[in-house]
Amino acid sequence: MVSEGRTTAGTPADEVAGAPAEAPGAPAKLTEGAQGVQVTEAAQVTQGAQVTEATEAARLRAVAAAVPDPELPVIGLGDLGVLRGLRLLGAGRVEVELTPTYTGCPAVEAMAGEVRRALLAAGAAEVEVRRVLAPPWSTDDITAEGRRRLAAAGIAPPRPLGRAPVTVPLLPGPPGEEHPVRCPRCGAADTELISRFSATPCTALRRCARCAEPFDQVKER
Amino acid sequence: MHEGVYREFEETIAAGERIEPRDAMPPEYRATLIRQIAQHAHSEIIGMQPEANWITRAPSLRRKAILIAKVQDEAGHGLYLYGAAETLGARRDELLDRLHAGRQKYSSIFNYPTLTWADVGAIGWLVDGAAIVNQVPLCRCSYGPYARAMTRICKEESFHQRQGYELLLALSHGTEEQHEMAQDAVNRWWWPSLMMFGPPDGESPRTERSMAWKIKRHTNDELRQRFVDIVVPQAASLGLTLPDPLLRWNEERGHHDFGPIDWAEFHAVLRGEGPCNAQRLGQRRRAHEEGAWVREAAAAYAARHAARPAGRAA
Amino acid sequence: MNGPATGGPGRATGVVPEAAGAAGTTAGTASGTTEDAALALGDDALVLSHRLAEWAGHAPALEEEVALANLALDLLGQARTLLTMVGDEDRLAFCRQERAFRNVQLVEQPNGDFAHTIARQLYFSTYQELLWEQLAAGDGPFAPLAAKAGPETAYHRDHAVTWTLRLGDGTRLSRERMQRAVDALWRYTGELTRPVAGLAGVDWAALAAGWAERVGATLRAATLTVPEAPARAVWSAGGGRQGIHTEPFGRLLAEMQHLHRSHPGARW
Repeated sequence: MVSEGRTTAGTPADEVAGAPAEAPGAPAKLTEGAQGVQVTEAAQVTQGAQVTEATEAARLRAVAAAVPDPELPVIGLGDLGVLRGLRLLGAGRVEVELTPTYTGCPAVEAMAGEVRRALLAAGAAEVEVRRVLAPPWSTDDITAEGRRRLAAAGIAPPRPLGRAPVTVPLLPGPPGEEHPVRCPRCGAADTELISRFSATPCTALRRCARCAEPFDQVKER
Repeated sequence: MHEGVYREFEETIAAGERIEPRDAMPPEYRATLIRQIAQHAHSEIIGMQPEANWITRAPSLRRKAILIAKVQDEAGHGLYLYGAAETLGARRDELLDRLHAGRQKYSSIFNYPTLTWADVGAIGWLVDGAAIVNQVPLCRCSYGPYARAMTRICKEESFHQRQGYELLLALSHGTEEQHEMAQDAVNRWWWPSLMMFGPPDGESPRTERSMAWKIKRHTNDELRQRFVDIVVPQAASLGLTLPDPLLRWNEERGHHDFGPIDWAEFHAVLRGEGPCNAQRLGQRRRAHEEGAWVREAAAAYAARHAARPAGRAA
Repeated sequence: MNGPATGGPGRATGVVPEAAGAAGTTAGTASGTTEDAALALGDDALVLSHRLAEWAGHAPALEEEVALANLALDLLGQARTLLTMVGDEDRLAFCRQERAFRNVQLVEQPNGDFAHTIARQLYFSTYQELLWEQLAAGDGPFAPLAAKAGPETAYHRDHAVTWTLRLGDGTRLSRERMQRAVDALWRYTGELTRPVAGLAGVDWAALAAGWAERVGATLRAATLTVPEAPARAVWSAGGGRQGIHTEPFGRLLAEMQHLHRSHPGARW
């Protein structure tokens, strides 16, 4: 299923945002567990050219990975785990595969637009962004670096899912649960659920019993 | 002011460091912050109304999704901000009571109606834009939970602010009717957006104290000027005009000059005489009253079943 | 399609899974294409999303403003994915007439009070979760979406179950309202578990049994009575899957489609 995001008009809206969306640092290095980079087979390509292509694909992939998530700009698409693949199709044409975090994500087109913009600026001649649904994104796809960035921004990262899905209970669970959600500010394990739904569909709202801080947690999915 | 007792408080403020919930603080500081944070929270939830007005008529599924997400965002930010006010000892149900009784306010921009689809874009571009200009300095507010809330909220709102701009861009470059719709909306929302920064500095009573406590970091006029300077070139990119014949770049000042604001309208709207005051507060009260049986049921169930009391909706 | 609907007095569930007589497994569907099925499932999600979004600014508590908006957004995302399998999502949503929509009648029912909305959600999300489970286990065209939407729908059902419990077992007033809602919407539940044309790979008998079991268990736990009334109206013209809708639906479409239709060909 192909869904093309439109190239967004270059808008100075970022200036109004004031506090610039925190870019997740210089081009994110390929993190552990990241999707492998696929390189187009080209029958006539020499060994040297293949090495160059792989390097180029890796470079562009890093550019795409560094694009901040439009809704939670503290984390990049690579660390979020939504960048499924990037392929060079020859003659500067690039194909990127993104997967949505949740079905209703309204930022998919914006995300695609940002990725396209970034890749064009990085030297790609033509960019096609495809949206893939399978396999479905899971919070386990968030990298360790992504979790660190979330916590640093005051958002409790999701706990590891493993195999079984964990549903965030609507009512507070019994005390002393095995993997408590820790306060991103003071680290306390004694936190309570205020609302299972929060400002974005990825998050739940909690409060720390020790330092009283309200904070969002990315829900396990 | 408060010698000795709040010395540590004064020193923390002077050093540009954060006051946290468990720190000692003067009662007026606490009260001012509760009021400011609460009114911010009230603004988020009242602000849902003019936008929710257009969800069922959104002209494309993509725009509908973005608008629903925006409304969820605002409700979620309201929840977050009430939580921040609660760190100061306030309780959400008390704060809501004050809102319903008219003793606490919300941003008066939301007393204007959304008459066309283009108004949704104008709100995103201008109203959210102004809110962000107001909020960015608050990221350095002296009170920790509020400053952190502002940082989070600004980042999440910037997506929606940009969507408002893009909505208008599509209209402006669309059919003639769409372009007219966009221009008409901007004509109606421009001046009220400027009023969002509050009265001119000379007439603003709370400013001095709030600035001393580093709750407020810039004056009303400073922020208003900043907003104008940012928005004027954006209007040009949109291909839309701003309804101010006196608006022009002043090379000497390095800023845009702009025409006089109708402060009589501003004060009238604050007093309750705006186009939608009664409607906004009325809808808010009705939702609260009609929801009472639901909240009571939740409380009754929790009392009967939970091992420990659940923190539930007000 | 037009068989008599019986509640079977004394039966705990009151639902007769009408596909039970047939093979009840993959091939037991009326003929149709994948697009037909995508349209039906997409319309369900589109219309229910629309109803839920009507709560914005009117919800009984701030947590519910967030929750209902979230549900509406999830469902709209499902709708967009499904409609896109058929054609242009906006042309389908905004330019079709009433009789061309294939959603079940349940989802178009007005919100009513909060109990009414929760009952509707309980019925629908229980069905949808079971459907996604089955479709995700196969390798048909809906499997990828089902794998993704399944966990989200699990949250929807959990939300509905929790509120059903609170309202049923809350105060006397809330129980009255919840029972009223449960009873009023029961007539629309039979349609949920009928085979969808073009949708292969679903054991409808199992789905219906699973639905009856889960809904029954939730209602009983909420100290509510499971209705014994018929689960479908009797009319030879058919139901929502045949494009026969209820009167509120036309008004819903009028509001939803008006702006888009007022500017033919415009982009937004």
